[in-house]
Amino acid sequence: MPTEQREEKQLEASLDALLSQVADLKNSLGSFIYKLENEYDRLTWPSVLDSFALLSGQLNTLNKVLKHEKTPLFRNQVIIPLVLSPDRDEDLMRQTEGRVPVFSHEVVPDHLRTKPDPEVEEQEKQLTTDAARIGADAAQKQIQSLNKMCSNLLEKISKEEREAESGGLRPNKQTFNPADTNALVAAVAFGKGLSNWRPSGSSGPGQPGQPGAGTILAGASGLQQVQMAGAPSQQQPMLSGVQIAQAGQPDIFRERAGRRAIPLSLAVQGQMPQRF
Amino acid sequence: MEAPPVTMMPVTGGTINMMEYLLQGSVLDHSLESLIHRLRGLCDNMEPETFLDHEMVFLLKGQQASPFVLRARRSMDRAGAPWHLRYLGQPEMGDKNRHALVRNCVDIATSENLTDFLMEMGFRMDHEFVARGHLFRKGIMKIVVYKIFRILTPGNTDNTEALSLSYLVELSVVAPAGQDVVSDDMRNFAEQLKPLVHLEKIDPKRLM
Repeated sequence: MPTEQREEKQLEASLDALLSQVADLKNSLGSFIYKLENEYDRLTWPSVLDSFALLSGQLNTLNKVLKHEKTPLFRNQVIIPLVLSPDRDEDLMRQTEGRVPVFSHEVVPDHLRTKPDPEVEEQEKQLTTDAARIGADAAQKQIQSLNKMCSNLLEKISKEEREAESGGLRPNKQTFNPADTNALVAAVAFGKGLSNWRPSGSSGPGQPGQPGAGTILAGASGLQQVQMAGAPSQQQPMLSGVQIAQAGQPDIFRERAGRRAIPLSLAVQGQMPQRF
Repeated sequence: MEAPPVTMMPVTGGTINMMEYLLQGSVLDHSLESLIHRLRGLCDNMEPETFLDHEMVFLLKGQQASPFVLRARRSMDRAGAPWHLRYLGQPEMGDKNRHALVRNCVDIATSENLTDFLMEMGFRMDHEFVARGHLFRKGIMKIVVYKIFRILTPGNTDNTEALSLSYLVELSVVAPAGQDVVSDDMRNFAEQLKPLVHLEKIDPKRLM
């Protein structure tokens, strides 16, 4: 009977594959448990993750073997205990790696069981009756309150996470100051805050390097210096008098800035240093 | 006065019709080392380059309301290097799809009597400053990190004071007009400098 023989062969091959997969899984589980029990003090999280990844990979392979089209449906196989014996069976002992010494009426119901354990069965029954006893309204209420609790908890966790994240950044000191960026860009773009040698009295371009105008304007430009909290002022002491005097009349400065706005409309902008 | 020179005419072709794509930011003095370190890692493998430049900005007032502006720059730490004359056009912010500021730019190397020449033409100096810092390259991108010093007595570049407690950081690319794709590379590069430095397109008109 070639058909039967072929089926038998297939069954055996599948069983072999299954056994080797399960053995692999068992070995990995064993070594992971060993690690957890004996090396917990120097176990790193990445190595735990590695072990998990290995286990999940092996479980996947096992599933694939079970779902393979050439694997016969194991549930269609029936196992019947033919002989029960209270005597010690060395062969069985070896095959089960010392876990099952005898094939007796005591152990067979456990090992050949296809239903859950009696205690589990009992618990399940209890739950089913409990569920049946409460009314639909009460059940709905309980579901709602559970959902509410879950979403509250979720919110709390994610909030905590966010805070931890921003808290992790907070200790890092600031590496840049947006106000400084603006001041520097304005300086290279149109000389804001820089030494301006044009006399403030005439609207036309003046003579560069007029000493009188230069001094006054240097003081005015000092006004625009970017002051940073806690940073020592870079003001020249000699300018402070000018600064105070002009701080009271910002209009003067603004007027001058307004005149300067004319060249700006052509807006030749910030400059990169060039190397030839 | 004569009409402003050539560049008021549309220039086309050659190396003249170039655009500068620009992103700007700043870094506080105490974080400069970290930034330099990161830039060394990110940029082309080259000898760290520093510069010390003196820039003068000249205006020429014509009949038009807005004067014509040219920038003259000379190296203070490299004797014999040519001067650099630069024209920069009106900056365009563009839309969200372009990640950098764009402006027309014309660069030219000149002899050291540039200032005399400009004065003769009727240009007058508007302002000047000293820039000292570091230069990096990555492909066609140029990254400069420099400090700006205010000049306290006209023309005397030895008597200066720092403008702020930060270094200006500029990322720029000079490319032919219409090459907006380069701004994508710039954006990607800028992302890698976060959170140390935030390079952005800053509209200078906003700061006037």
